[in-house]
Amino acid sequence: MTPGGYFGRALVVDLGTGTAEALPLPDDVLRATIGGAGLGSWLLDRLAPAGVDPLDAAAPLAFVFSPLVGTPLTTSAKLAVVALSPLTGLPSDALASSHFAIAGKGTGHDAIVVHGRCAAPSVLVVEGDEVRLEPAGDTWGRGAADTEEELRARLGRAYRVAAIGPAGERLVRYATISTDGRHAGRGGLGAVLGAKLLKAVAVRPVTKVRPADPDGVLRAAADLRTRSLGPATAKYRELGTLANLLAFNALSTLPTRNFQASSHPQAADLAAEDLGPERRVARASCAACTIGCAHFYAASGGGKVRVEYESVFALGPLCGVTDPDAVLTASRRCDALGLDTISTGGTIAFAMECVEQGLLDEPWLRFGDAAALHRAVELTAAREGVGALLAEGSRRMAAVVGGDSIRFAAQVKGLELPGYEPRTLQAMALGLAVNARGADHNRSGAYEADFAGGHDRLHGGAAHVAAAVTSEDRAAAMDSLILCKFLRGVFQDPFPEWAALLSTVTGWEVDGDELATTARRIVVAKRRLNARFGATAADDWLPARFLDEGLTVASGREARLPAERLRAMIDAYYAARGLGADGAPTAATLAELGLPPVAV
Amino acid sequence: MGSPKALLPWHGSTLLRRVVGLVGRVVDGPVVVVRAPDQVLPALPADVEVAEDPVEGRGPLAGLHAGLTALDGRAEAVYLSAVDVPLLHPAFVRRVLGALDGDDGQGPADAVLPEAHGHRHPLAAAYRTAVAARVAALLEQDRLRPAYLLDQLDVRRLDEAALLHDPALRTADPTLASLRNLNGREDYERAHAEPEPAVSVARFGTLRPVGVRAPVEVLASSVARAAAAVGLELDRHVVAAVDGDRISGDPDVPLAGGETVSFLSAEAGG
Ligand code: SF4
Repeated sequence: MTPGGYFGRALVVDLGTGTAEALPLPDDVLRATIGGAGLGSWLLDRLAPAGVDPLDAAAPLAFVFSPLVGTPLTTSAKLAVVALSPLTGLPSDALASSHFAIAGKGTGHDAIVVHGRCAAPSVLVVEGDEVRLEPAGDTWGRGAADTEEELRARLGRAYRVAAIGPAGERLVRYATISTDGRHAGRGGLGAVLGAKLLKAVAVRPVTKVRPADPDGVLRAAADLRTRSLGPATAKYRELGTLANLLAFNALSTLPTRNFQASSHPQAADLAAEDLGPERRVARASCAACTIGCAHFYAASGGGKVRVEYESVFALGPLCGVTDPDAVLTASRRCDALGLDTISTGGTIAFAMECVEQGLLDEPWLRFGDAAALHRAVELTAAREGVGALLAEGSRRMAAVVGGDSIRFAAQVKGLELPGYEPRTLQAMALGLAVNARGADHNRSGAYEADFAGGHDRLHGGAAHVAAAVTSEDRAAAMDSLILCKFLRGVFQDPFPEWAALLSTVTGWEVDGDELATTARRIVVAKRRLNARFGATAADDWLPARFLDEGLTVASGREARLPAERLRAMIDAYYAARGLGADGAPTAATLAELGLPPVAV
Repeated sequence: MGSPKALLPWHGSTLLRRVVGLVGRVVDGPVVVVRAPDQVLPALPADVEVAEDPVEGRGPLAGLHAGLTALDGRAEAVYLSAVDVPLLHPAFVRRVLGALDGDDGQGPADAVLPEAHGHRHPLAAAYRTAVAARVAALLEQDRLRPAYLLDQLDVRRLDEAALLHDPALRTADPTLASLRNLNGREDYERAHAEPEPAVSVARFGTLRPVGVRAPVEVLASSVARAAAAVGLELDRHVVAAVDGDRISGDPDVPLAGGETVSFLSAEAGG
């Protein structure tokens, strides 16, 4: 019998023929991978041909749901989009919350996978087991939110839509997939759909999820709801993630001018503490969320714009810009065009430094110049002029620009760094270096341990390694269950508490130890999959800037991350994870976790 | 004194807790407390190490030896501090340790010895860990005075002017109160009755009252005292950073004059 919360099958759609078939998902696979990012890795391993290019027709892309989706558990309405990343060439998973997750699962599938390429720009419509391709029509060329609106108007309000914007159509390597105004943002999976000429996927629910213990789920949901409104989430509810910015500035962890500095003298102009009360016009929640971390500010020129720390840091201090209107306008344009704000800001900041160093002849592209920032965003989405280069991301751009520019291209595995300075957050430095999908703050939240003060954040060592491992394991569990990371502070003893939720939904008797092992398996499975697609130990490293250049924090103390220290942390991480010197899981580790050999 | 110096109360904390916090803020490596036989210690941060001084009453060289032994191979230099210096300022420790590496252009030395207020201060001094063998030899010979060690070393002596040549120390501790130790009950009571250090309090995120942009100045000798002074309740959802550097959830983290304590949400990230 299929466990509660699952349908036990994925829908696999061939976009070339417009046909679909069901892929059974056996109980043991579901229990070993849970859902979301974990199940997505399994699907990618199963369905991606060896050596396939991420933008090739044969490359699959999966929308993966989870056992908790569709239950009233707060923040559970999420999905993972899993595919090979055009930016990194490696497997990537990007999460988003939305009604699309609930409706997509309501088609009676735990995942919807697409492969192949449409003959012309199209929309995939899924109702239960029925699929059809419709012409994208005049949605091609338009923004994701517009497309979503138009398709729901055309098909009916019961449909939910995930769509790409113009950046995805033009294969910008960090294009997003959007739904409900939320973005599966990192890794450029929007370009994978663009390459398939697939503008959007529209789903209509035909069935409901059945948990094993419906009353137990209701009780757990009520309890979680109460806890979700406590002090652990106050920051998200009252100010949103932008509350990070001013504090990060004071702690020298705010990346500035392409990581040339770790604080900006005008950072206060972008403080949520001041902008929130002055400009906030709305606060919203994702589907099925009681926290509501989405804060909207009035935008210059009318309308409103959603404000997130990562977008503001990347399009603000990272590019030397601190005028709030300029930064919010850039953020709004990225959302409309379907660009990942972190990689957009990261790549533009990199280009600005290339100009500063005389390596790129675009004299207008200067740090601190808001008009230049806006122009660069538009050129990127259009792939015009220098935009054709920017659209490739900083690592590929460095290969073209040459000189020693790769040393200050702030990326790992090709993915641009998020807003956490590695030299002053050295557990996070390790997390950024080793994470399977590249420099990322959602798959490794090791910065949390740096900010908690249990270790010296400027001096990476054994405690930092342990923090990075724990953080990845927790993230893997949350990304597979799926629960929003902003809920994490309400759990005092996460694995047993999460296991209890999973047991109530599925009917399995999962305990904290089993779930912790599952989390570890998911992390190791990603490393295994990375190895299958060519990742080596050389990919687990930070750009030279972080290892050669020091920073001084406000106390006067020097923050340095010598290469030997990073090497020692990575070696200790490999040992803790059961990886060999090549960065791939050893045969013994794979066997222990029930995973197949790297080459299958 | 009536009670062991390490346990003496200091504005809600203890002398020893205060001194390990002030020294620990400056150094990169571990902080080691040397405990006399049967000595009771106050609560200390989890990362503070305790080394046993096996024989009572052999003086500071025996303590230095126990500390250096505990640190074997893990540090190149140490700052040696007495416990009864509640007015110690981290800028003083930074100045003395900096001089050991010759950062004032004088070249590196084996030890840095402050000489101020008419005294030498071997218990407010910096030593290279390589001196451990000489300390051991002196103890073997029962030559227990620090002067015997200093006579054998390349010592950089810092008088008041030299100490205060450092602008950071000049601002933070112009009277060199860092060197004021408490030799009796009266000294202690007088020092304890003085106003607590003036510090700045910055609040971030939801902890900051709307419209309060600039840090506020309060008198507070610890994070707990600073929080109380601005009416902030400390719990597991709040952490504090001192001078934008060390972060902790421990309310007993000491503060010194001129420092800024920042309170922020423990729920970092997003
Ligand atoms: S906390 Fe924020 S990101 Fe998480 S589910 Fe709720 S609204 Fe969405």
